[in-house]
Amino acid sequence: MRLSKPVVASLVVAGLVLGASLAVVAADAFQDRHMAMETVNDAAKPLFDMAKKAVPFDAAVVKANATTIADNLKSAATLFPAGSGGGDSRAKPEIWTDAAGFEKGMKDAHAAAVALQAVKDEAAFGPALSALGGSCKSCHDKYRLPKK
Amino acid sequence: MAAIAFVLAIAAVLFFWLTRPDPLPATAIPVREVDLRNGETLFRAGSCLACHRPPEGGPGAERGLPSGGRPFPTPVGTFYPQNLTPDAETGLGRWSEVEFVNAMKLGISPSGTHYFPAFPYASYRAMTMADLLDLRAYLMSLPAMKSASREADVPLVPLARRAVGLWKRIAFRRPPWSPEPGRTPSWTRGAYLVNAPGHCGECHTPKDRLMIEDPGRHLAGGPHPGGEGKVPSLRGLLARKKYADVADLVLALQNGETLGYEDLSSGGMAAIQENLATLPEADVRAIAEYLLSLE
Repeated sequence: MRLSKPVVASLVVAGLVLGASLAVVAADAFQDRHMAMETVNDAAKPLFDMAKKAVPFDAAVVKANATTIADNLKSAATLFPAGSGGGDSRAKPEIWTDAAGFEKGMKDAHAAAVALQAVKDEAAFGPALSALGGSCKSCHDKYRLPKK
Repeated sequence: MAAIAFVLAIAAVLFFWLTRPDPLPATAIPVREVDLRNGETLFRAGSCLACHRPPEGGPGAERGLPSGGRPFPTPVGTFYPQNLTPDAETGLGRWSEVEFVNAMKLGISPSGTHYFPAFPYASYRAMTMADLLDLRAYLMSLPAMKSASREADVPLVPLARRAVGLWKRIAFRRPPWSPEPGRTPSWTRGAYLVNAPGHCGECHTPKDRLMIEDPGRHLAGGPHPGGEGKVPSLRGLLARKKYADVADLVLALQNGETLGYEDLSSGGMAAIQENLATLPEADVRAIAEYLLSLE
């Protein structure tokens, strides 16, 4: 098949645009999920301080921060499109080679944050926070590279 | 031509002489009562299971037994850690005490070959004889699992193995860790756990081109042995505000990320932290005290 020069040129341009768009989507996804995870971390910190008794237990703060964590985990879960690893990202290839395991891990973490929202007293708070921390840990252990 | 052959022959003889394994004799082993509890503490302090656990579904995997065989990738090649359960054919069942000590202190197998230093005997050689015998007794008390060992995926294995003898000559010129005078018993205990059974320096101390730990940068962090990312420095943890005090680091080692210490589930550290969490609290405190003293 013979293609005219304009057709070839258009195909090349279309290819480049598509490639560049995918790269932008991947870069955006990395930035967005990084922000979401940082927000989770910021919201979790006061809760861990409570667990360590560095600050007094406050059910309202627990509910508010657990909600922030749950919301951000939910959006982060959608921000791992294929090809968005590498570069500054600490995402391990296992996120995509073991997509089912990763998806389950994110779901478990979200469920743990939702459970933490419902906590009313200090006795239930400790175990619920440990469960959330444990879900962060198991994913980080499997799917996160060391710091670069 | 004859001259070249002569030089090569001399070089070969010299190589075999320099690389010959030199194990301890059975008479080096004292007669004593073993302490299984202490052996288990050392098994946890060394996080033996982190490398010697079987692959998922492997022999004894569900019981957390160190039947080995899970691939251990390194830049040099892939290693398959040994079965540490007392199975006679595939594990340590037929190993005598002195054979175990030679493996741990000198990196020499019962058949008299060198182990690759991916097995961190360069750290374990600082362990006391009593601790090594307790650790062996603990391993021998575990249920026996059948899991044959597999040769390392390293180029030119027999020659490479032999050449480890040369590596040891250089690496072992530096004396093993030993107690410093004038330190508290707790600091000394912490330093021992970190540097001998804990073998923290294997990842946290940068290595030179010969894969020997650089004593000038002890526990100062470096490239991750897995090839990507970095291993953090364990020096200046207080000055860099990584931990507030000894109690803070104790909590970190005991709980890891379940209490928000997210750095402890990075680069394979989660498995190590889970082992350290099972140590007696005094030992965790000793480790924290020692680490926070490093400036």
